[in-house]
Amino acid sequence: MRDAPTLSISDLTLSFRNWSGVSQVLHGIDLDIHKGERVGLVGESGSGKSVIARIILGTLHDVKGAQIGGDVRLGGRDMAGMSKSERGELRGTELSMIFQDPTTALNPVYTIGMQFLEVLRRGDSGMSAEDGKVRSAEILGEVSITDVDRVLESYPFQLSGGMNQRVMIAMALVNEPQLLLADEPGTALDVTVQAQTLELMRNLVEQHGTSVLFISHNLGVVREFADRIYVIYKGRIVERGPTASIFADPRHPYTKALMAAIPRLTGGGVPDIAEESESFFDPMITHGEAPE
Amino acid sequence: MKSIVSAVAKRLATTAIVLFGVSILIFLIARIIPGDPARIALGPRATVEQVERMRETLHLNDSIFVQYGYFVGDFLRGDLGISLYTNRPVMTDIAQFLPATLELVLLAGFFMVSIGLPLGAIAARYRGGWADHTIRIITLLTVSAPAFVWAVILVLLFSYYTPLFPIAGRIHETISIAPVTRFMLIDTLIAGRLDGFLSALHHLILPAFALSLSGIGQAARLTRSNMVEVYTQPYIEMAQSYGFSERRIASKFAFKPSLIPSLTIIGLDFAALLGNAFLVENIFAWPGISRYGVGVILQKDLNAIVGTVMIISATFLIANIVVDLLVAVINPRIRYAEQSD
Repeated sequence: MRDAPTLSISDLTLSFRNWSGVSQVLHGIDLDIHKGERVGLVGESGSGKSVIARIILGTLHDVKGAQIGGDVRLGGRDMAGMSKSERGELRGTELSMIFQDPTTALNPVYTIGMQFLEVLRRGDSGMSAEDGKVRSAEILGEVSITDVDRVLESYPFQLSGGMNQRVMIAMALVNEPQLLLADEPGTALDVTVQAQTLELMRNLVEQHGTSVLFISHNLGVVREFADRIYVIYKGRIVERGPTASIFADPRHPYTKALMAAIPRLTGGGVPDIAEESESFFDPMITHGEAPE
Repeated sequence: MKSIVSAVAKRLATTAIVLFGVSILIFLIARIIPGDPARIALGPRATVEQVERMRETLHLNDSIFVQYGYFVGDFLRGDLGISLYTNRPVMTDIAQFLPATLELVLLAGFFMVSIGLPLGAIAARYRGGWADHTIRIITLLTVSAPAFVWAVILVLLFSYYTPLFPIAGRIHETISIAPVTRFMLIDTLIAGRLDGFLSALHHLILPAFALSLSGIGQAARLTRSNMVEVYTQPYIEMAQSYGFSERRIASKFAFKPSLIPSLTIIGLDFAALLGNAFLVENIFAWPGISRYGVGVILQKDLNAIVGTVMIISATFLIANIVVDLLVAVINPRIRYAEQSD
């Protein structure tokens, strides 16, 4: 028997109540991430993948009109039973998040060094500026930043998107979180830079044994990054299993459509697929363990 | 540091050019408005000869270019001429009246920033809540009534019905302080009179507050709207994802970025206080430059008009430079843009 999973979600539902009624966003999600595991959550925009990250983070609990049902456990602890401040305690220490566009996600009026120090003080409130600098330099080295001093003294607008992305990855991992949530990381960057930074991120989480929930609409990127994949469609998980197995043998009609939607450079261009189909609502398919 | 010095030097040079333009403009305007200054100064019973003699001494019979030449020559020697209204050198008048106004305006500016900005930040942090609504209603009230209305209301409430503050003047009449800087708060301290300092402060608070009220409202409303906008930015969600407390996010991560667009406007508002000071000075019998300025315009006191306008323009321009420097301090983009010039 393994330890309690880093993250275990069962029957998670989410609905928003507003003046026009109730709209259900998540229809019973089950998802587990074990220690050191990299899990991909793939789906189109509006499928509910980003709200799952916000629920795990605990920031959606405080939004008016949001009704969250089901069970979310972090390292065995039930999040529903936590107070607002207890959930806040987890963020930045045991949980951290990487955002889509690194340049707008960093504060424009503080230097990288200052922002690093703030994040470090989430983990160790007594950290001095000097110690903070040493620790930041260390982790920036791990994301292959060489001119650390210049970067720490810079403002985000003075760095390239790729640099900011490395900074954000380093910042997210500096407090050694149990779980890293990556919401479409680097989608705002160009493809080559995105590939480089994802490579760095993968090496880093491997070394640190960090579990990752990797959220993306891009199957190619997820294939490179994740050990296991969940495919989500309209708030339901439609197919789950080891990455290799799903790519070798997509069985759910929606997964097949998603894979067919990848444009090919060699002829064909953007493929024609149905926008919606009854078959996309077929029951969930679970793949067995990948053959060793 | 070097870049700041050169930026300031550059701005001061521009200021000199602007002042030169202002001097031409006000010099012409003052002379175009109808009425003979010599006749107004000497009164209706003066003889034609007397008036003519005065016009001669004031160079009023020369062409306007020659007159401007005289003015520039005197100005460079630090002489703004004699005021026909007070019969004293305009420089002496300004030295007497300007500090009183600056004292008023500086305290009003301090109120604007120290009350307006936090109010706006609180409203933004609790946007949509009762604190936000209360602050928005109150600030709308303060913005929509001019300073002199507030002055009258405040005098009625806090000097007349509840005599907490003095109605007029700069200091209690029994205290006499030797003028050194003519800033009452400073002079009382120089004289070592703590009671005088407190009395001067007591006299200053109500007029300064009346003058600042619409500015406080303006600053609060601007800060609120900028900060509400900042709250939708990804870097605030990032701060939330790192679990910083709402208080810390409001006071640090959201406040500073939202200050940048507000500060320029607040700076302009601050400079506008100089003009708004006129009615407030009248209501509180405050011996300031705004009241003096209006008096000399009504008297067509040419030297004093030009002198007062020049001083007020210079103060306005300097206030602008200070604001720009402050903006550069909090906005790294501007700081680095100036360096790379």
